[in-house]
Amino acid sequence: MEVFGLLAGGFATALQPINIAFLFVGVTLGLVIGVLPGLGGTSGVAILLPISVVIARGDIAGADTTTAVILLAGIYWGALFGGVITSILFNIPGEPWSVVLLFDGFPLAKRKGKPGLALTSSFLASFVGAFIATVLFTLFAKEIADRALAFGPPELFAVFVLSFATLVGLGAESPLKALAMLAMGLLLAAIGFDTITGSQRLIPFAGSEFEPLRNIQINLLAGVGFVPVTIGLFGIGEILASAEEQGIGYMEKISAKLGFKDLLEALGALRKRWFLVVSNSLIGFLFGVLPGHGATAASFLGYGLARQYAKNKEDFGKGEISGIMGPQATADAAGVASLVPMVTLGVPGSPTSAVIMAGLFVWGLQPGPLLFTEHSTFVWGLIASIYLGHFLTFILCLLAVPLLASIMRVPYAIITPFIVVISIIGSYSLNNSMLDVAFTVIFGLVGYWLRKMKYPLAPLVVALVLGDSTERELRKTLIAGAGNPAFFFSSTLSTVVMILAAIVLILPLVGAVRGRLRRAGVAADDTD
Amino acid sequence: MGTAAAIALIAAVAMFDSRAAWSPVRGTAPGDVGASWYPFWTAAVMGLAAVGVAYRALVLPQPKAGVFASRASVVAVLNLVLPMFLYALSFQWLGFYLATGLYMGFFAAYLGRYRFYWIIASAVITPLAIFLLFEVGFRLLLPKSIFYPGIPF
Repeated sequence: MEVFGLLAGGFATALQPINIAFLFVGVTLGLVIGVLPGLGGTSGVAILLPISVVIARGDIAGADTTTAVILLAGIYWGALFGGVITSILFNIPGEPWSVVLLFDGFPLAKRKGKPGLALTSSFLASFVGAFIATVLFTLFAKEIADRALAFGPPELFAVFVLSFATLVGLGAESPLKALAMLAMGLLLAAIGFDTITGSQRLIPFAGSEFEPLRNIQINLLAGVGFVPVTIGLFGIGEILASAEEQGIGYMEKISAKLGFKDLLEALGALRKRWFLVVSNSLIGFLFGVLPGHGATAASFLGYGLARQYAKNKEDFGKGEISGIMGPQATADAAGVASLVPMVTLGVPGSPTSAVIMAGLFVWGLQPGPLLFTEHSTFVWGLIASIYLGHFLTFILCLLAVPLLASIMRVPYAIITPFIVVISIIGSYSLNNSMLDVAFTVIFGLVGYWLRKMKYPLAPLVVALVLGDSTERELRKTLIAGAGNPAFFFSSTLSTVVMILAAIVLILPLVGAVRGRLRRAGVAADDTD
Repeated sequence: MGTAAAIALIAAVAMFDSRAAWSPVRGTAPGDVGASWYPFWTAAVMGLAAVGVAYRALVLPQPKAGVFASRASVVAVLNLVLPMFLYALSFQWLGFYLATGLYMGFFAAYLGRYRFYWIIASAVITPLAIFLLFEVGFRLLLPKSIFYPGIPF
């Protein structure tokens, strides 16, 4: 019952006019970002992060950190819905998590001539998935946070290790590449002053008398900021990747207007598939809570499950509504769930929540269990805003599809440089530092190249955000244990989490060995 | 392969920089591993992973397609990268507003091939919108050009 009282307080915060206004701005921007194929939800949140700093410090009357997080989370919710529109109407995924909608969304819109039904079914499933996940978030977040308060350095370190292990072990196309990116993120986070001994680390040009190099050195002592790096990796990196694809892409267009008839038809489709949508939402929530994943992997999992348990498997890929509703419910539930470990444990559940968490650090908040006790208004305001944000997004999507689709007509020669300008100004305005601008440009190129070479960027960003905390808990554990590594296993919880991390890390290795043995067996049979 | 080699090289440099990890005098408290231990071993893991990636690239058959799909795709990326570099470099002399106006105008003219009034509109409206949003709305001062205060931006 206490939860409902706290949630009511959260609604009182989230329903303040300034918060509703920024929720509307966030959701609308998210929808626009979601529709634009060159820009993802993570980039959108990263680019807007500097503006959130201004909002969080109270420069706008009535606004505070809750307003700032509502804006950033609103972008995420909008982008979760917005990517659908381009996938279904243009056969181009607006977001990585809407790639899966190309399989059945576009065929339903084009071949079966039902774009309105395809869009409405997708929005409805997203809404239901997000709603179920938010209810679970409301019910269990405080419980998790209360238990997490008992965590000491060994337990916290074990949780960080588990989150890194899931990034490397589960879902990564190449665990070695993911490991390299993870270590790169941790290494970048180590640049600057060591917080325990105060000594300098990994500072290039040390001792140089050349003025510009000395300036770089002095700026680097404060460390590499994750905001400029993230804006570069995701904002500029995605723009460059999409610039390369401009000459290659072929765009099919279907126009759509949504009517009340479409909504009724989608509601009928939902009634027939309620078990699929509810079960996929629950699975999406559980999957999203695992650190390091989020909506994209969940959407494919959701599609696989929908197809696996369908009686009409042959209809998938030809415009089957279950192939739209299943993955959409899973993706949105996972998107909401990715905020759970961020708020309760201080471990981001997805790249986007890693960027939102970076925002919390910049605003002076410490993500983790203490948020619930020290910043209760903030946390419950955020949770209430998730309900409101998804409701608002759903309504906006139903009303504004033709308008949103028209964004695709903004010329490339205007939208692309504009995104670059906003990225660079956003990165500069955080610390008024030209070095941050340089980081954004350099990491834009790095991000583009790594993406091209199929190196995953999520481990890099998550490790960069968590790097300081990981090292701090590692060294605090060692100091507490007087240098004895056995202290990492001093409690049952830390031991269990460490074992879990080892299993998660070893699983793909076992899978790879089994696959190789199977292939070797097939080859031997062929030879026989 | 080249990317993995570059990552391994960065790891080697970081390990060399953190060689104090092997020093017998380390942290400030009993049990502390010191400032260099963590970056040294993080770099070691990064280097080993990169070597593993390079080894797999050597051993496993790789697709024969080049890094870029076509010459057009290289040109498309360079069209964006080179002006972006110049734009970022020019801030210290031209300030944000002049640099942004020129950058937007260049894209409208070079890639968009718009009529001159659209080019001017793009070059003026964007910096003006940024001024209103950042300096007036959010009270964030952005760098002005070397001509300031002779001209107001």
